Amino acid sequence: MALHDRLDSHKAVETVWGKLIPEKDAYRYATREIAAFCSNIFQVMRILEPDFEKRTEAICEMSYNLNMGVSGEEYLNTFYDDWNIPEFCEKSSWLGAIFGDYGDEAENMAGRVIQFTRDRVEKELDTCPWDIVGAELCNMTTAMFTANFDLANGGENDVALNMCEARGCGDRHCRVVAERRSTFGLPKQGFLDHMGTPVMPVHNTPEERMVKNGQILRNGQYSNAFGEEHSLEYDYRWLCEFGWAWCVAFPLAVIRDLPDDEDEFLRIFRIIFSTAGKNLFMEPFSKRAVRDWLGAPDSIGDNDPRLMGAYIKTLMDCQLVPNELDAFTKDEVRIKVTADDFNGRFEMAPMDELAIGYEALWHNAVKTLVSAEWSCWFEGIDEDEMTIVIGRKIDKRMI
Amino acid sequence: MLFREDEVARAEAKAIRESAGWYRWTHDLVEIKGPDADRLVQYLYVNDMAKAPVGRTKYTTMLNEDGKIIDDVIVMHMDENLYWVSTLYAPQLLKWIAAHDEGFDVACSDITKLYDMYAVQGPESTTFMNALVTEPVDGLKRFAVMDDAIDGVPATIHRAGFTGELGYEIYVPMESTKTIEEALRRVGDELGYPEITILEVYVRSIPVEKGFALRQDMYGLTPFECDLDWSVCMDKEFIGKEALEKAQSEGPARRLMGLEFLNDSYEDIAQREIVYRKGVPCGFVRTAIYGYTVDKNIGFAVIDAKKAIIGEEVTVGENDSPAIICDKVFV
Repeated sequence: MALHDRLDSHKAVETVWGKLIPEKDAYRYATREIAAFCSNIFQVMRILEPDFEKRTEAICEMSYNLNMGVSGEEYLNTFYDDWNIPEFCEKSSWLGAIFGDYGDEAENMAGRVIQFTRDRVEKELDTCPWDIVGAELCNMTTAMFTANFDLANGGENDVALNMCEARGCGDRHCRVVAERRSTFGLPKQGFLDHMGTPVMPVHNTPEERMVKNGQILRNGQYSNAFGEEHSLEYDYRWLCEFGWAWCVAFPLAVIRDLPDDEDEFLRIFRIIFSTAGKNLFMEPFSKRAVRDWLGAPDSIGDNDPRLMGAYIKTLMDCQLVPNELDAFTKDEVRIKVTADDFNGRFEMAPMDELAIGYEALWHNAVKTLVSAEWSCWFEGIDEDEMTIVIGRKIDKRMI
Repeated sequence: MLFREDEVARAEAKAIRESAGWYRWTHDLVEIKGPDADRLVQYLYVNDMAKAPVGRTKYTTMLNEDGKIIDDVIVMHMDENLYWVSTLYAPQLLKWIAAHDEGFDVACSDITKLYDMYAVQGPESTTFMNALVTEPVDGLKRFAVMDDAIDGVPATIHRAGFTGELGYEIYVPMESTKTIEEALRRVGDELGYPEITILEVYVRSIPVEKGFALRQDMYGLTPFECDLDWSVCMDKEFIGKEALEKAQSEGPARRLMGLEFLNDSYEDIAQREIVYRKGVPCGFVRTAIYGYTVDKNIGFAVIDAKKAIIGEEVTVGENDSPAIICDKVFV
């Protein structure tokens, strides 16, 4: 018989109702979800430090130092060797750019290396999932690139970095240009000097040849100019670790210390995430979209906590966070997760703020997605084993 | 990326095609020496190294047990029981040799950091070289080496290159590299032969025009799928031979082909960009670059053998960028 014995297999996240979310869609969703969390913490920062320059410089300095610590010379050297970067590519000139290009594509920042010479590197992006966050983050990434170039150079680099365009600032492209200072006669830059104009003219890709997706989504893998490749699986995992590190853990290291005491930080932090949660499903059509996304059957009514429970579980699955359904009824949803898995996605820098932020976000989101009768809270939020609960709660001081 | 309007890149490409130019050209270098060196290089590589006596060199691919290309190199027979292997992947090659050298009395080492390397390429490169070295290189055959000297520094001259033009490679002790670079610049300036500075010109644009692929373009294909039949000697034992014989009898599953991109530029095409024939995936791009001699955007792609038809119209990537399948050799 000529029939196939079975269907082809493909990876997917399966919702509680059997709807399959293809691996690529799950990866895309995880990317944007991290960016959304990042957006919220930047709102916290803006409340705590009203001065744009002060807060931007602070997160630049911190991210530079942390990137130096996280990446490290040994890490970059391993990268250099593993990726078979030929000897004629001087580390001091090139490695920072190669590493940066890989990081962009791993996080679905779609674009291209326009120029790659000893004295000048130009990278152009057509998309950036983080373009909703704001200009401080764009500045912050240049500080991280500076760390990459310093690490590659074994000390202070010889590069002037300019993000002369940024989608987070409203430009069509993001564009980072690195020019060798000794060649172009350029001064050393401070952390806030990286949004200037490069010496040499840039190449502007016409709109009709811009791309909508990174290589991972277009081609199922990343491949660089040296032919070295990373799979979708590898980069998805990389995103779900390092994505949280650079755009959440790094700035949080500054934001936590902006107020005089932790209570004030947590008060504002919770308010921001609560507001975001209240608005998450405000539009009536967004509820229909969530039901479609999850494959919720008609038997799940409008006032059923399982809708929110399925949403939370699917989100965690898409973020590669191990979790276990403990209860899933019309009266209660309980999802077990460990603090290590939930808060320690980037193992070197676990963040309690992930649980605190999502608790505030989901507690308020459930009120628009399901109804105000329902609440969401984390049992054991300070313990190793946590349970995310969606249940009925009456609180005369509920916010 | 290279673009049509880049006049600096165009001038550098023109120098290589029409006169001569020089550049620092380093790759990794592995030394294989010992009583069984001849036997080992025969076993590692598909080409017949016995046909490369001392002083001669050969291009060859290296296969894994599945008969698929994992490296392509120039093997240089430097002396009795002594070979240099020019590769971009010395650490990988050493690991590979270590896994396959049981029963061979050889010593292998990475000597990349001991030598610096320069290239002089172009139809007038013999004139350039003769103004540079002590002994004229006119008699040096293609894929042959000779000892010479530049400004008193001993140099090994290899008549070869990756441009498809007459050319030479110069190997010098690392500690003398400044002397050689100064000599190249001085003589080049006197004769009007420029330094070529843009990596993508001499590693991609110029070679692709002549159909020269990098290992990364051929990785995972058989030599037959890359039209390298001429380099395979089936009358000897080598790693991957059994699988290669089977592949040969079955015919190629895929082919490394040329692609001519029809848009003005190729910013939407990365390595591994998917190629579609009538909307159906039929392969993937390996490289895309601007060729200043042909004045076109060109590249290589791995295409399903049955669909690797020269002249066939295809599209590439999510923007449906038009392209035509063509021969790998553009000039």
